[in-house]
Amino acid sequence: MAKEVLVVAEQVDGIIANVTLELLGEGKKLAHKLDAPLSCFILGHNIDSQVDRVIAAGADKVYVADHPELAEYKTLPYRRVIIDEINTWSTPPHTMLMGSTTSGRDLAPRIAAYFETGLTADTIELDIGPYEHKAGVDKSKIGYFPECLYANRPSFGESLKARILGPWKDPQMATIRPGVFPLPEMVSKPRSEAAKIKNVEVKLEESDHRVRISKILREAGSKIDITEADVIIAGGFGLGSIEGFKLLQELANCFENSVVAASRKAVDLGWITYPYQVGQTGKTVRPKIYIACGISGALQHRVGMQKSDLIIAINKDPDAAIFSFAHHGIVGDLFHVIPEMISQIKASKKEPAFA
Amino acid sequence: MNKDLNIYVLIKQVPDTRSKAGVNADGTIDRAKAGKMLNPFDAFAMQAAIDAKAMGGPNSKITAVTMGPPPAIAILYQALEHGIDKACILSDRKLAASDTLATAYALSMTLEYVQAKDGPADLVFCGLQTTDGDTAQVGPEICERMDLTQITYCEGFEIRDNLVHARKVIEGGAMEVEADLPALITIANSYNRLEHKTFRGAKFVQEVKRNEAIQKQFVEIIDLADCKAEDSRCGLPGSPTIVSATWKIGTVGGSCKMHQGKSVEELVGEVVNINQETIKEFAKA
Ligand SMILES: Cc1cc2nc3c(=O)[nH]c(=O)nc-3n(C[C@H](O)[C@H](O)[C@H](O)COP(=O)(O)OP(=O)(O)OC[C@H]3O[C@@H](n4cnc5c(N)ncnc54)[C@H](O)[C@@H]3O)c2cc1C
Ligand SMILES: Nc1ncnc2c1ncn2[C@@H]1O[C@H](COP(=O)(O)O)[C@@H](O)[C@H]1O
Repeated sequence: MAKEVLVVAEQVDGIIANVTLELLGEGKKLAHKLDAPLSCFILGHNIDSQVDRVIAAGADKVYVADHPELAEYKTLPYRRVIIDEINTWSTPPHTMLMGSTTSGRDLAPRIAAYFETGLTADTIELDIGPYEHKAGVDKSKIGYFPECLYANRPSFGESLKARILGPWKDPQMATIRPGVFPLPEMVSKPRSEAAKIKNVEVKLEESDHRVRISKILREAGSKIDITEADVIIAGGFGLGSIEGFKLLQELANCFENSVVAASRKAVDLGWITYPYQVGQTGKTVRPKIYIACGISGALQHRVGMQKSDLIIAINKDPDAAIFSFAHHGIVGDLFHVIPEMISQIKASKKEPAFA
Repeated sequence: MNKDLNIYVLIKQVPDTRSKAGVNADGTIDRAKAGKMLNPFDAFAMQAAIDAKAMGGPNSKITAVTMGPPPAIAILYQALEHGIDKACILSDRKLAASDTLATAYALSMTLEYVQAKDGPADLVFCGLQTTDGDTAQVGPEICERMDLTQITYCEGFEIRDNLVHARKVIEGGAMEVEADLPALITIANSYNRLEHKTFRGAKFVQEVKRNEAIQKQFVEIIDLADCKAEDSRCGLPGSPTIVSATWKIGTVGGSCKMHQGKSVEELVGEVVNINQETIKEFAKA
């Protein structure tokens, strides 16, 4: 069982999350390059119906661990089941991918530490390629590795992207934020011909029950999910205060299915809450229209919104980085530009169709 | 009534990105020139440790632990000023270029070392993530090594009957859990902000800085040999990952249509006109 590309699925209320499908889509490309099967590990309870979805998204093999204790994500039971299963394989998977979500970031480092292997966080690009390690402090690392997992992520230096790799030990692991890769085309296939399905044995130990869930509070409705909006009006430090968001909301109100969002600086200042943050440590969005107001366009912000169909930036600094990748840049004070925009958009609606 | 709690908090010194110092023209950071500060996420962890101490028995105590070059001692003094009782820094040239796995190994060896002197941990607090490493991995990797109960993304907690009752962030909401001690808890930035330095803490730091004997007792400096960590598991040799290439991505664009130097009406008019189809498609009727 060599060289698999394994995606660990994430499910909420028994439904596979989109991030898992996105990873399967991207994982398929890696599996092709490695000439390896793409597999998916699903943990949950009464999740049989989800097997077809991951197969439709491209999985060649599915590992299913179905157990009442796995219904909700919990660190220790999930960790146990995955590690136990991989330990029955003759070699671990080549590549292992998880969503960079609250649960993926909780679980992936446990598995990486157990296997004493590398894990790249918040990856924005994945590929397979060669690497030659020539010299260094550690001679045991020298060698040529034809098939490494390349995981690229923004680095601390704000305008740098870094390629991180670790070919010395499998699994080579990475977490990826939801929305970074597009959803794959779903092609349903009958199970018999499509994929190998393995029911994984679930054997938990006493010590796996050290954390017990007493209550789950999930916000109903999708109002808060900025990843689903068609139009995003985003504000940054240039808004000057919490009051600025009222102006943004007014502009958002001109559009259907629209929402206000923010840069991390605005979130850190408490002007708006974390679920509205766009960027590397927030959400990745790709709306039809993204209007950035008083946002400088730091790399960590950019990676979360650069795939938007239309980016309009409003900034009073003509040299702001955001003007290097927006589609339209308006140089001006947002407190003058936005009210004008609101009135022009409202007015354009009132014009008769033939005008 | 809870027992006396033995609390550890892991804090890190990071480059200060709030100021312009050390930020090169191309946006990269010169770590040598940049100012230094306490990782902002670790300030929340420190407050959590202080809150936990108040919930424990009267002899509860907190030890702050960091790994970094000698100047990082500054954040340990900062911790003492806020009322943390003791501190320890692991500093060794061989730790340079440690990735998260090597860092977690070295920090867990340091924790073993301080535990051998000061007693086993009931609670270990970490920040959610650092602003320079930015991985959120070190906490859970230490948990795996030390077999502690793990609670990440914690927004608030109580200790009752020697159990942790915590609220944590999950996708689309929150979760309340009950967990056994000893536990490692990573604190989200929605936790209460760090309170001001205490008067007692500030005076204590003045004294510690003056008196070398107390300094050794309250701010311990150790190296890899002291905590019996294997060199081969630290720094470059102990890191399973490397950065193989970096490249700039500030200049890919260039296709931005700029609108400037005219009246606001004209500027907005241009943009609204060019994009009128898209705007009309999504504008409210
Ligand atoms: C590890 C790490 C992760 C990060 N993750 C994220 C992330 O997920 N998301 C994110 O956004 N950031 C993230 N950041 C922070 C990022 O590097 C920037 O600091 C941040 O995006 C800057 O926010 P800003 O653009 O709102 O503020 P600033 O950079 O201060 O920009 C404000 C802009 O407003 C303009 N302005 C001011 N007044 C006006 C006015 N009246 N009219 C028009 N324009 C005006 C200014 O010219 C300036 O360009 C991260 C940083 C690190 C180190
Ligand atoms: N060098 C270090 N010294 C002490 N604590 C650290 C160090 N690196 C990471 N940590 C802890 O681990 C948390 C997560 O860090 P990171 O995995 O780098 O995002 C931090 O908030 C700290 O609590």
